[in-house]
Amino acid sequence: MADVLGRFNRFRQTNRWIFATMLFSAALSLTASFVLSVDAIALAKDPRAALSCNINAVLSCGTVGSSWQASLFGFPNAFLGLVAEPVVITIAVAALGGVRFPRWFMLSAQVVYTIGLVFAYWLFFQAYFVIGALCPWCLLITLSTTLVFSSLTHVNIRDGNLYLPARASLAACRFTVAGLDALLVGVWLMVILTMVVTKYGPLMV
Amino acid sequence: MSKTSKNTPASSPGSRREALRTQQQARARAAARTGRAVKAAWIAGLTVIALMVGVIAWTLVRAGGPTAGISDSLTVPAGATSGGAVVVGQASAPVTVSVYADFMCPWCGRFERANGDALASAVEAGTAKLEIHPMAFLDEMSAGTRYSSRAANAFVTLANDDPAVAFRFHRLLYANQPAENSAGLSDARLAELAQEAGATPAMTDRFAAQTYAGWVEDATQQAWDDGVTGTPTVKINGQTFTGDLFTAGPLAAAIEAAARG
Repeated sequence: MADVLGRFNRFRQTNRWIFATMLFSAALSLTASFVLSVDAIALAKDPRAALSCNINAVLSCGTVGSSWQASLFGFPNAFLGLVAEPVVITIAVAALGGVRFPRWFMLSAQVVYTIGLVFAYWLFFQAYFVIGALCPWCLLITLSTTLVFSSLTHVNIRDGNLYLPARASLAACRFTVAGLDALLVGVWLMVILTMVVTKYGPLMV
Repeated sequence: MSKTSKNTPASSPGSRREALRTQQQARARAAARTGRAVKAAWIAGLTVIALMVGVIAWTLVRAGGPTAGISDSLTVPAGATSGGAVVVGQASAPVTVSVYADFMCPWCGRFERANGDALASAVEAGTAKLEIHPMAFLDEMSAGTRYSSRAANAFVTLANDDPAVAFRFHRLLYANQPAENSAGLSDARLAELAQEAGATPAMTDRFAAQTYAGWVEDATQQAWDDGVTGTPTVKINGQTFTGDLFTAGPLAAAIEAAARG
């Protein structure tokens, strides 16, 4: 048992695992962005595209899509996913193929994606607390953005791409080698899921 | 020159070994400390996850529970159908128009603005009776004030006493429909509109008791069970009307056609 865990944990530190999960999560994110972009275009063409309050859209009567938060920069937010996720996919595929990116490159990717993560969670909290409606595809984006971020951070810690001071770098390495990054992501996602279920669960069952 | 040689512990092999051992022990202790911290973190993390699973399970179980409990002590409004509707109009009217709507649903507001007059005159002329299914599933969209439920309860409370007053109130609610995700109309404003529709203060005083909240909840569930998937849904003599609900005309024409048989 301990051996299996140990072996899995070693595998978890490999390029193959990290970039495969990154690829998978980025593909999910891209899919969701695509669906939301198509929705946004349909909504722009005909604001009556979604002509009812649907049981399954507990979670909205098209309200999330037509809120100002949904196009913060004057165009649907989902377009940002269409632009950013293919880059992540390219990085993941190239790395799986053996390409090693320079530190500055990976650091830039980390910075940009961190901004993306902050934006994704800002949207989640806006939808949760202010708009008072969630949409399933938006939740998928919250999830996949978290996963891409965690795998990108993991690889950057492993390869020392973050220009951290020696001691912090060592601590971060120990943290990920012990699998605590995965634990942290697990706890975090459970908290989000619990928030969603406690608020909307009674309406979903 | 001698300084460097002094620092290298070459003097005695015994003390050198000892120094090495202390160093190793210190390292082992540090490793054990880290190991214990990691273990503690895992236990804490998994405990939190287990707790969350518990909270989720409890929420879902509880959500399933009390709905059944309410129906035990249910107050059914006078003249309500078993399908969860309140009837407006003459029982002898040849056409039955069923409307499934939630007072918070913006599309229902648009539907009402387009067709409200036509429906009212069809009822008045005796060509159609309305079965209004008040649904309350958009409670989450009124900033915690459960507007859908409150409005539906008020409507049903009036319908129990006087369907005609209730129908006028129904129209006023849509004419004054609050924006989605706003706090909705206050209880005082609901009473005001009800009196504008012809209700007596004695009738509106009964809103606060939420007498029909349970019935509304069951009616909402009944609608889903009957295959309604969204609001507004309109049926003519049981057949779902698939035409344009948001422009005046098509629905009125369909009602006419149904009346001619």
